[in-house]
Amino acid sequence: MASFTAGPTSPVPVAESPSPTGWRARQRVRRLLLDSIPGLLVLLVAWQGLAMGVAQLRGVGFPTPWETCQRLGSLLAGTPLLDASIYRHVTDSLGRWVLGFSLATTVGLLVGLVAGAWRWGTRLLLPSVQLAQLIPGLAWIPLALLLFGIGPRATVFMIAVTAMPPIALSVVGGVRHVDPSYIRAARMMGAGPGTLLCRVLLPAALPQILTGLRVGLGNAWRVLVAGEMIVGTGTGIGYAILQARWTLDYASGFACIAIIGLLGLTVERGVFGPLERLVRRRWGRLGESETC
Amino acid sequence: MLTLDHLTRTFTSAPSGREILAVDGVSLTVQEGEFLCLLGPSGCGKSTLLNLLAGFIPPSRGTVHFAGQPVIKPAPERAVVFQDAALFPWLTAAQNVEFGLRRLPRKERRQRALDMLGQVGLADFARAHPHELSGGMRQRVAIARALALKPKVLLMDEPFGALDANTREHVQDELLRLWERYQTTVVFVTHNVHEAAYLADRVAVMGPAPHSLCGWRRVEIPRPRDRDGQAVLELSQALREDLSQIPCCVAPNRRPEEEQ
Repeated sequence: MASFTAGPTSPVPVAESPSPTGWRARQRVRRLLLDSIPGLLVLLVAWQGLAMGVAQLRGVGFPTPWETCQRLGSLLAGTPLLDASIYRHVTDSLGRWVLGFSLATTVGLLVGLVAGAWRWGTRLLLPSVQLAQLIPGLAWIPLALLLFGIGPRATVFMIAVTAMPPIALSVVGGVRHVDPSYIRAARMMGAGPGTLLCRVLLPAALPQILTGLRVGLGNAWRVLVAGEMIVGTGTGIGYAILQARWTLDYASGFACIAIIGLLGLTVERGVFGPLERLVRRRWGRLGESETC
Repeated sequence: MLTLDHLTRTFTSAPSGREILAVDGVSLTVQEGEFLCLLGPSGCGKSTLLNLLAGFIPPSRGTVHFAGQPVIKPAPERAVVFQDAALFPWLTAAQNVEFGLRRLPRKERRQRALDMLGQVGLADFARAHPHELSGGMRQRVAIARALALKPKVLLMDEPFGALDANTREHVQDELLRLWERYQTTVVFVTHNVHEAAYLADRVAVMGPAPHSLCGWRRVEIPRPRDRDGQAVLELSQALREDLSQIPCCVAPNRRPEEEQ
């Protein structure tokens, strides 16, 4: 009765031994693979059927999964596509993506914090962000060309400007819905405005912000490929897809599409999935409401 | 040390724009080292009163003075323990306690946090996150976090209301031990007559405005008290009768005339 080391409900042990964790991770990977296989099969069968149907009805060569796979293999083996290796195209695209997304994140966090935490910030900044949110990525092309001319910088601008609004809005929403007792607790402990912002509002809003980052990342990825097609970057996956068409090399185009999908899936499952799981577990009910 | 003079707080109801009295003309002096319970039914404005003492909200009329100075904003000398613990879920228990000690050097800060967690019996859980702790443990971390600030007064807003009966009794005894050890003044909000009778030096009975402060009782039962002893039970009964005299309580923002 007198001991207070364990309450009536026994808590989860604090230190987890590494071996069950590793085992659990392996289980998770296996489960993931097993879960993905039926869906993948459906996709391949549908694709194969479509390819055969199109070849029959329209008399044009529609790359089958197998042809695409072969082409992908030869590209990965080093066959150049439009005077550059596939690796060059992918790394250039990824570079623009990372650059544009980093810009969007920085600006989005700043704008979101100012608009979320101060009333005048809301009035001054929120309308523009909400407006920008409604504009499809490709509609920025004229602005991008006017500002930066033809070239990769225009693409980076387009990525940043389409990825920023969802990030900023998620910060605004997150900061506004922070549990008021967190703010009171921090002020009671003598926190000033800076501490309150960086050490309370921002972490408390993290579940919502992660959702915004995820949406922003998706936006960035889509506009990157489309932007490369139009703004004339010279390299990049989007550029490669469009240019491959002129040489009737549809298989290469399909291979590029496969690469895009795989990269997106990797980031989604490899980075955002685990991050969100961690945050949801730790933040408790705050995170749960966000995921549904 | 804490002086309330005709303290009044009104809220504007959102739908009708009408002024609603939450706390009406409370005058009260909290003595140094005293354990004061604010006892009243839900929605009678006792949490509002505590928020006024903490400095979270300004009074509409009247004043709060702490050690001779008017209270205008929250400060570590008036530490608060919230109803729902309000620990930061992204920090460990120790980091939560350290939050208010940022001005201290890192090592000292760490040491004080661990000491305080030891005081509430949670030394082994310093690196646990709040979601890994039970409700009672979280509330103990919240008490450690408040006491680490070395406050002159501890303001507690129904801190044990959400705990099961057994845990509540444990944490009550824990609190009494810490109160005696640190000689802190405590203002403790509760709607539980038995809790008030067991803990308090003095019980202020509160009702809905305009009867905010209905009266108070000094508790002369010697400590340590027997929770189920005659004296505590009799006082509980007396407090229960006090509460039954109070007009039935309606949540301040949902009065009958507001419903249309």
